Amino acid sequence: MNVSNALTPMQMIGGICVIARRELAAYFDSSIAYVYTIAFVVLANSIFMNEFFLTGTVDMTGFFDMLPLLLVVFLPAVTMRLWAEERKSRTIELLLTLPIRPSQAVIGKFLSALGLFALFLIGSLPIVIMLMSLGSPDLGLIASGYFGAVLFGAMFLAFGMFLSALSGDQIVAFVSSAILGFALVLTGDGRVVAVLDGLFPALSVGTILYEHVSVMPHYDAFVRGVVQLSSLVYFGMFTVLFLWLNAIVLERNRV
Amino acid sequence: MPEVQLSAATASQSPLASPAQTMIDVQEVTRRYGQTLAADRVSFQVATGEIVGFLGPNGAGKSTVLKMISTWLPPTTGTVAVAGHDVQRQSLAVRRTLGYLPEHNAMYETMRVDRFLRFMGEIRSMSGGYLASRIEWVVDKCTLADVMRKRVNQCSKGYRQRIGLAAALLHDPKVILLDEPTHGLDPLQVVAFRDFIQELRPGRAILFSSHILAEVMAICERLLIINHGKLLADATVAELRAEAERDDCTLEQAVLKIVTREQRA
Repeated sequence: MNVSNALTPMQMIGGICVIARRELAAYFDSSIAYVYTIAFVVLANSIFMNEFFLTGTVDMTGFFDMLPLLLVVFLPAVTMRLWAEERKSRTIELLLTLPIRPSQAVIGKFLSALGLFALFLIGSLPIVIMLMSLGSPDLGLIASGYFGAVLFGAMFLAFGMFLSALSGDQIVAFVSSAILGFALVLTGDGRVVAVLDGLFPALSVGTILYEHVSVMPHYDAFVRGVVQLSSLVYFGMFTVLFLWLNAIVLERNRV
Repeated sequence: MPEVQLSAATASQSPLASPAQTMIDVQEVTRRYGQTLAADRVSFQVATGEIVGFLGPNGAGKSTVLKMISTWLPPTTGTVAVAGHDVQRQSLAVRRTLGYLPEHNAMYETMRVDRFLRFMGEIRSMSGGYLASRIEWVVDKCTLADVMRKRVNQCSKGYRQRIGLAAALLHDPKVILLDEPTHGLDPLQVVAFRDFIQELRPGRAILFSSHILAEVMAICERLLIINHGKLLADATVAELRAEAERDDCTLEQAVLKIVTREQRA
């Protein structure tokens, strides 16, 4: 019997799409999608509106400024189930004995999480419409902010999913992803940088973390309307790195 | 080598099979979990047209061996080939050839049965009329028509087992691995399952595990007895019966003897 051991590009993409579709449907089947999206949209929009009335400027920077702190909580909640649930319910054995490569499963799941995150962001579009009806906001700045938010989300989803594969437990996956997320965001805060620098003046740890590790300088550049190559590389590199590590974990951790 | 070899009866003696038709070839396979030896130099073959029962108490190593054939677990040493494809180097080809019902029959609980079957087909690159006709066939054979629009977690245990079986058979696999397929089925369903497996036999190699002797005897004519990771016997049911008659005991006692002989050794 001669069965091919190869995967054509069409089969590769087809498998990714089938998995992404199933995962996205699973978010809706279990009502996670509705609950998270409604909670996120209500929170994000109400926090922004509060600030909008205080500052009174036709601009969305305030929304993008508070977005990271919300995403640090919401994105781990999206990714925590992706592998931990498969392990707990043992469906991982079913999935990974199907004729697909682990990378297809990883990318498919990642795209489904990205799809749900896109729904979160779409929920903030009424703000854009409102601003446009009130005045003439800088649409380029808004687009750049959204672009940054998508890259930020993609990276957070990638490491959240990786930690879900690593831990095998949803709570552990959530907490570890949230802690890592907070660390990446808080090391971008001026006060935290100052405190860390003060702790070890000779090493200036805070500054080093801010310049080389933190997500915030890169994200803030997009929010200010600056699309710089180094930031694209930062987000792209970490996203791909965690997806790749995720596939490796799946290959190794089989019990 | 198995310590107790009731006979040299293997695939090569069956009229249906020749060495070229060996579909599952397990050679000196060992699997360790830390210090535990879950499979200890296990070797056997299953050929096209054969239904082989894998018998052993809980924790004997049946699932471990099936998991290695399914490509899920890599063997610590030894080789496993399915339809001539090595499970480690050509795992994609193996997985395309296999229909596998894993232990505990885990499925996506919140998915609707029809969508679950469709997913299992699409992920195997099946589509259109072919997928529809295959779904129709498994739904008919596994009598799933009544639950197609229900969620998996709303189905009874008997239905769940049949959904798992349907998913494993959807792509018309030539090698079928079933880990405790009758678990949770009522007696009537077991009879139906037995008939269905017999119907599937032509052109396929079927290996299924169970810890119930009567079940294995009813379905297959060859069985592998395993305990503590060691293959203790590879015998036809007829040979086992002859052995029981010779020793003037029941079949159960004959099997028990094989298992305890090993423990004493």
